[in-house]
Amino acid sequence: MNTTTAVQKKRKPESIGSGYLNILAPLIVLVILIAALEFFTRAFGISRFVLPPPTDIIAQTISNFPEIWPHFLFTLKIVAIGFMISVPLGMLIAALFSQYEILVKAISPVIIWLVITPMITLIPLIMLWLGTDPNLRVIVVIIQATPIITLNTLNGFTNIEGEKLELAKSVGASKRQTFIKIIFMNAMPQVFTGIKLGCIFSTIGAISADFVAGTVGLGSRIVQYTKYNSIELSYGCIIIIALIGICLFSIVELIEKRIVLWKN
Amino acid sequence: MENKIFRINRISKSFGSENSDSKVEVIKEISMEILEKEFVVILGNSGCGKSTFLKILGGILPASSGNIEFNGKDYGQEIPRDVLKKFGFVFQNNNLLQWRTTEGNLRFMLEMMHLKGEQWTARIDEMLDIVGLKAYKKEYPHELSGGMRQRVGIARALVHNPDVLILDQPLGALDAITRKMLSYEILNIWKKTQKTVVMVTNNVDEALLLANRIFVLSPVLPTTISHEIQVNIPITARDENIYENQRFNELREMINDIVRSTI
Repeated sequence: MNTTTAVQKKRKPESIGSGYLNILAPLIVLVILIAALEFFTRAFGISRFVLPPPTDIIAQTISNFPEIWPHFLFTLKIVAIGFMISVPLGMLIAALFSQYEILVKAISPVIIWLVITPMITLIPLIMLWLGTDPNLRVIVVIIQATPIITLNTLNGFTNIEGEKLELAKSVGASKRQTFIKIIFMNAMPQVFTGIKLGCIFSTIGAISADFVAGTVGLGSRIVQYTKYNSIELSYGCIIIIALIGICLFSIVELIEKRIVLWKN
Repeated sequence: MENKIFRINRISKSFGSENSDSKVEVIKEISMEILEKEFVVILGNSGCGKSTFLKILGGILPASSGNIEFNGKDYGQEIPRDVLKKFGFVFQNNNLLQWRTTEGNLRFMLEMMHLKGEQWTARIDEMLDIVGLKAYKKEYPHELSGGMRQRVGIARALVHNPDVLILDQPLGALDAITRKMLSYEILNIWKKTQKTVVMVTNNVDEALLLANRIFVLSPVLPTTISHEIQVNIPITARDENIYENQRFNELREMINDIVRSTI
């Protein structure tokens, strides 16, 4: 209890000013970007099929929001459930494989292969095997996000200084103690890198599944709206998807900042 | 003082597989006896295998042959895990856990050895007091200077109240001024805690300031003990003025001659 308060007390003075700026600076850039786009699309008469003015996108998205809402909820559900399964699964796989050097060597190329393969290519097959229930898209998210989490976590578990393991030996630590108190903690920064990439990959997985199949989900909405020339709403859905990813990413980053208080 | 805590019998160590070209013999038949509460220094130039010997002594590496007797029990080629509670190991590059505070690094030892209760919590404060870092309990290693980190390393090796303190070139990574200051501090810690200390160094002055006995290792692999030197400088003379001590200068001359003749 005391440890955290002391650290926070000490760090606050430097972080107040910079924290303020960290939020303000990107907001200003965003406002400038929207204003510039608004100006150019209107001043140069850019076709709304290429890029509608941002105010039109925002206005139409808001007025059609009741229609988008269930699709938003569905995509959010798929991303969130898939992500929450992928994180422990990816870490568990990494933890198991890291126990044996030969397994790490054998499995690493397979994991890299899985990370590189766009899972959108598997979706027609998965539908063939499992049916067209939209909820099965969670599986796509899991196979898209788990390998990248495993890859980074495994990297963290295996890249440990020999000296740290010598410390464990010198105190007579058991294998379990060594893993929990040294290897896992040492890998924490890389674990978080993996989880943050997992946020991005989960969103990609969910949307790509929408594209291939079905009539629910924000991805399928984009396909529909584009088909019916509602370009403003297509852009609106793209922005909402990005917001889902950004929110997930920010939540993980916030947790990381509370846990990883040290410097490597 | 006369109790033999360690009896090391013809310890050898080689790396790489047997009967192959990659096999390197590092240590050849080192034998020594270490008395209780003695300060033993192992002196040798870099790359001679002195750290390897210390790691065998500290239970980090097994020996290839020979046997180690500790407290009258023969443990063969490797000190078993449960006996390591009686050892405290200080590493060359402090080797602190960067995700733990000063206090947390000391607590790590207690967690590993399942030592719970208030007397152990009190002991963390006591040890940090000995190394003069009581005010830095809540700092992380990256917030401390190199000398402070090494002092935390020493406090950590003492917190579980071991019988033997093993120091692997504890001052090697420090600047000259910090190094000198910390060597006096190690002397004081030894006087205060009355532990048996085995230390490896490549610095002759440090060895003479601290040791009861110095073992000089031969510089070529496989290394073995080339000389054993009794440092008969009284404990009262061991302070900042040791450089004026006649015996100190005689021994220093002698060791420098040994080191020079073996190169």
